[in-house]
Amino acid sequence: MVQALQLASLALALAATAFVLVLVLRRVMLSREERERQAVEERLRDDALALVDGDDVALPELHRHEAAIFARMLARYSRQLSGEPRENIARYFESGGHIDHQIGLLGSRRLWKRAAAAATLGDMASPAAVPALLDALDDPARDVRAAATRSLALLGAAVAVEPIVEALAARRVQRAVGGWALMQIGAPALTRLRGLLRHDDSAVRATAAELIGLVGEASDSAELIGLLRDPSAEVRAKSAHALGRLGAGQAAAMLRGALGDRIFFVRAAAARALGQLADRPSIPALVHQAQTDRFEAAQAAARALAELSPAGLSTMAALPTGNVHLREAAGRAEIL
Amino acid sequence: MSSTEGDRPVVLVADDDDDIRDLVAFRLDRAGYEVLRAGDGQQALDLAKEHVPDLAVLDVMMPKLTGYDVTRELRADAATSRIPVILLTARVQEADVARGFEAGADDYVKKPFSPQELKARVQAVLGRR
Repeated sequence: MVQALQLASLALALAATAFVLVLVLRRVMLSREERERQAVEERLRDDALALVDGDDVALPELHRHEAAIFARMLARYSRQLSGEPRENIARYFESGGHIDHQIGLLGSRRLWKRAAAAATLGDMASPAAVPALLDALDDPARDVRAAATRSLALLGAAVAVEPIVEALAARRVQRAVGGWALMQIGAPALTRLRGLLRHDDSAVRATAAELIGLVGEASDSAELIGLLRDPSAEVRAKSAHALGRLGAGQAAAMLRGALGDRIFFVRAAAARALGQLADRPSIPALVHQAQTDRFEAAQAAARALAELSPAGLSTMAALPTGNVHLREAAGRAEIL
Repeated sequence: MSSTEGDRPVVLVADDDDDIRDLVAFRLDRAGYEVLRAGDGQQALDLAKEHVPDLAVLDVMMPKLTGYDVTRELRADAATSRIPVILLTARVQEADVARGFEAGADDYVKKPFSPQELKARVQAVLGRR
């Protein structure tokens, strides 16, 4: 028994030593790689900057790994730039076959290669990558889809708006990633989002409504108001939410009507929006909702009252009829 | 200490991102400006007080002092109060822009940026002075 234990501890000690050696070796290798990278960048920086600035640069002959370092440096620069410099960078990558190489990697069996390629194509700034990146939105791996979404945004690909919204609606892309991408695409995204408000799929309509709340304009209110009567509760709720974000005062009457929606989260979204719109005529209805509705809708109504009439809310909360939602909202209003 | 060194106007470029500093400095150097570089807000302020540049291009989000802080400090000192400031920033919500102008900035350029546009803004701001 003792011998067995001694053998086991010796084996553990050897394994630990081997592990530490591997870590040290790896650290040494990484440091050397980093020093090499810095040296290559130092040597090629002026060429990279000149290329970005539009010069016809005659690069020295580069080994494969030096060419890779140069490409990564240009890709880093492209993230910071807009306009003609990005076109200059794209031309370099197109002429060197880099784009085709990365597109080829999108078909790799290894997930990390596909994801890395999808991300790199955005940095390479070439519109030639857009079709392949659109296909990558259907990749089985979430990381690849997220990287493709990001890259399509960096390329300003308006044609990607509908696929990104559909991916968001189907939860194939994270909300933060898709939302950021559409904001990056900017005004062209808005035009296409408006078209998606009439999509057959209610999840797409709801996602489009939500995104219009983020990037839209006051003129989008009319269509969103119409969606307060959509057959889908999700669409009605997201439209109410968007109207609040857009500050659409003309939606107040319809939103007051939505306080009577049969679905609680629509009532909650309408209450929040009315608070954002500072709609004082909705106070009596909000008080009623805060006192009688189920949890989420009542809480939303109480918090809206805190925005509309903090003093009035404090008074109501102190009354015997003041319930937990009114008291909580009054407490939050005092703290904030 | 005087700002213009030789015949070239002096521009201070401050950003904690090495790549952005390189890109901006390269473009401005080509455009005929003498460029001073700073990697954080405190260094930017120190260089500005020492050299009194003709213009400062400041990133907003920097370590030690933000671009807003540096701008305010420059405006508060009689020796540096007249240095024009262009803010280079990814933060272009209305409130952020207003905050920049309230701090005393003369212009702002949004990131990601076009070096040509930045050069044009530099020329425009210097032309106004």
